[in-house]
Amino acid sequence: MVTHGPAGLPAANLLSGQLFGWDAAVRRGWERGRETVSTGFRPLDRLLPAGGVRLGSLVEWLAADDASGAIALACAVACRLAGSRGTGDEAAAPAATILIVDRGGRFYPPAVLPWLDGGGNGVGSGGGRPRFVVARPSTDDDEIWAIDQALRCPGVAAVLAWPGRVHPTAMRRWQLAARAGGAVGLLVRGRLVRGMDGHAMSSGRRPEWRCEPAHAKPTHDVPMHAEPTWAEARVAVHPLAAAAAAGEPSAGPSVRRLRLSLAGGPWAGEAMLEERATELFLDMATGREAAGRRRAAAVTDAGRLREWGLREGLECRAS
Amino acid sequence: MPRILTIWLPRWPVQRRLLERPELRRVPVFVCRRERRGVMKVVSWAWATPPRAPHRVGLPAGNAATARIHAGRIHEGMSLAEGMAVLAAAHGSRACQVAEVDYDDPVADRAALEELARSCRRFAPIVALEQPPAGEASRPECLHVDVTGTADFFGGEGPLVRTAVWTLAVRGVHARAAIADTPAAAWAAAHHTDSLSADPSSAHLPMRGARHRRWALVPPGGQLRLLGPLPAAALGLDADVLAQLEGVGVGTIGGIARLPRKSLASRFDPQLSRQLSLFTGERPEPLAVPCSTELPTATHPFDVPLSLRDTTADDLAVILERLVEACLGPLAAAGKGVTALQVRLDRGQAIGLGEPSAPLVIDVGMFQPTSCVKHVVELVQLRMARLRLPREIVGITVDVVSAGQADCRQRTLFGEPAEASAAQVTMLLDRLSGRLGRRAVFEPLPLADAQPEHAWAAVPPMRATKRRAMPVPAPSSVRRRRGPQQHDGGVPAIAAAPQRRPLWMLPQPVRLESVVVAAAAEPCPTEQASAVVRPPAGFRLEGRMRDVVKAHGPERIETAWWRGPTVRRDYYVVETSDGGRYWIFRRLGGSAGGSRRAGAERPAAQDGGAWFLHGMFS
Repeated sequence: MVTHGPAGLPAANLLSGQLFGWDAAVRRGWERGRETVSTGFRPLDRLLPAGGVRLGSLVEWLAADDASGAIALACAVACRLAGSRGTGDEAAAPAATILIVDRGGRFYPPAVLPWLDGGGNGVGSGGGRPRFVVARPSTDDDEIWAIDQALRCPGVAAVLAWPGRVHPTAMRRWQLAARAGGAVGLLVRGRLVRGMDGHAMSSGRRPEWRCEPAHAKPTHDVPMHAEPTWAEARVAVHPLAAAAAAGEPSAGPSVRRLRLSLAGGPWAGEAMLEERATELFLDMATGREAAGRRRAAAVTDAGRLREWGLREGLECRAS
Repeated sequence: MPRILTIWLPRWPVQRRLLERPELRRVPVFVCRRERRGVMKVVSWAWATPPRAPHRVGLPAGNAATARIHAGRIHEGMSLAEGMAVLAAAHGSRACQVAEVDYDDPVADRAALEELARSCRRFAPIVALEQPPAGEASRPECLHVDVTGTADFFGGEGPLVRTAVWTLAVRGVHARAAIADTPAAAWAAAHHTDSLSADPSSAHLPMRGARHRRWALVPPGGQLRLLGPLPAAALGLDADVLAQLEGVGVGTIGGIARLPRKSLASRFDPQLSRQLSLFTGERPEPLAVPCSTELPTATHPFDVPLSLRDTTADDLAVILERLVEACLGPLAAAGKGVTALQVRLDRGQAIGLGEPSAPLVIDVGMFQPTSCVKHVVELVQLRMARLRLPREIVGITVDVVSAGQADCRQRTLFGEPAEASAAQVTMLLDRLSGRLGRRAVFEPLPLADAQPEHAWAAVPPMRATKRRAMPVPAPSSVRRRRGPQQHDGGVPAIAAAPQRRPLWMLPQPVRLESVVVAAAAEPCPTEQASAVVRPPAGFRLEGRMRDVVKAHGPERIETAWWRGPTVRRDYYVVETSDGGRYWIFRRLGGSAGGSRRAGAERPAAQDGGAWFLHGMFS
């Protein structure tokens, strides 16, 4: 027998929502003691609710396409996180490790290995040089396990992965692991898997909690599946074509223009109620913000979301 | 004066396999290791019983000596394909079809050699494995036996060395042996028994016609006199030192000994004077006792067979923890840690159950020496969780295969977070490699190679730190041709510019369909020329048409000539209207054989000019 909540939804979802609420309360207490690190991209820092990436948290990147540049941006952020660890006061600090969980075996390291040097800007030169370690799991279970293990390790600065369809239990497991170990999990989600794993629970159904913008349809065509997530923030990455950058001097393949928008975040967080977007220029040669191109678009407040998929019965719903 | 008996086991990796599988004596056996990108390199090879008459057409029948000479050109480090080609030239292609190729397993080779060393204690109590020179891979093939004072039990040194060789021959081991004053002299004599006389009283110079002699005796104090005519390589020198000696016209041990000793160290590599002093006995050479005699082992036998179906993992972990603790305790006391461990689950006599009775062996390796019992047990459990365990076992044995010096530091009262986190990372990598596989966890190392597939190497995580200081190979040839739409001013000549390489590279290029080539603004003289210089205006991918709004390139990349048939490609970085960025190439007409390296591509003659997707700037 299936018990239904006030909104006619299964009780399992109701319990899940309550769990989100409890976790939000715990998170608020936990966040006070956590350090926030800059991503190295000022527009992105302004976009993120905490003004940067909080150590021991997850950040989801929604990629519009396989060639959208989301992994490159996440990789650049990982390099900056590892660099900020390596520049500690101790000269003999161990090398900060960036673990890349490469499920499909497609990761091509020469594209990002020079980023560890920061383009000669001395990232990580204070202590040990950051390094990439690649793990190639062959099954989904191995992938979930490898991400979990890496997030629990205190010596790992960041874990970069592009998991496929993930059960929310695994996401919760990763969140707790990151909280325990202090590593930052950067999870790049593809277009096809987005919205499929939100709260389908074990039944495998499509999510029933769906946040849609009330007005002011977003200017870009990234769908806003702003369902709650266990991640600290969910950033949608949308590449802008070179032709769209009218008036910009041509920079060749070394600069990439990306539009970022906050497509969700922690449940009951104020940040997710606003649709905010910004643009940044990623220097593909150094993995840094392109020099001279820091006049990013102002964070826009496109309005508040009018209603949640589940309007009633939850303490953590939008007010 | 000490007397050392050296037993040389030529091509030991192959011999070990022949001992385990005697049926392989009829076929050629190659032991290879897989290099990066799947290239197989020959570590050792042998054909125990080659056919007397080569099957090769055109080779005179019965000319087995010629075949042996041909096959003798297969040497260590040669690629398997080359080795097969030489074998086919010597014995025909049929020999390649029946050849047995096995992966290199140096740990198993060493373990088998140590087991053989333990059995050689019948000749003397001190038996040691040879120590390869520093810098070489640890692949011993010799045993040193200290037979000082024990030869009389066998009737003298002559009968002793003969007994040693024939005792091993009875077991199926081909060995050559020699007795001398020093391990280095005995090593040199054992490797050149063909050119030495077994009886030192009969001849002092290498005998003619003494082929296939398996033993030699060097009288006390006579190593320089008897072994002087041997080549300089018998001292175990590196190739560059040998080249130096060859440059000054010195080719024998006697010639080296006649050089002024004072200037030897300044004129040549220090290795030369060191090896010469070891050879003459001026410098003592300690014998390295086999590790297994020192490394601990622990066994837990069960009175009655233990059914693993009725045993929980926690119960098994308790036993494992006790055994591992018994092994690691002595090592930790000596400041050492374990780097490789073997857990054997001895099966019972499963009569009628159809299970093999061989023990289930679980090999566990660590990237760095560790003495943490909990960590080792965790690694063993990770491996056991992915294995099909036997129904019942009669005992568990934990054997330390190799150990290393642990990184011991003075610890602070509350521990240093930096040190703790470094240890945690090492444990994490051990765990990951334990479950995902040793090759599935690696650290990428950049290489200066123009060919994208060879621009990096996957190395074990702990070795990459040491290799970073090594100079990378010189960049291979890369040709760049600047097209009309190229905007990459200042890009270095090396093809490793990161902005030109995709973050995701497909394992095999995918052929693009429905490629639209933009019409030329000005008519080109030939249709082919217009197609070469112009990137596509659109292509279909995943069922959707993508319009190319910008393209950077071309960048022409050719495979190196020494890597096989040439593949020539013009690469472009294209941006589509939806912002996607792709790495595509146009295949240029090259040699037809190049299609084999391109995987999914068809021969150049068929699809010359076709477009392929090779990567995505994800």
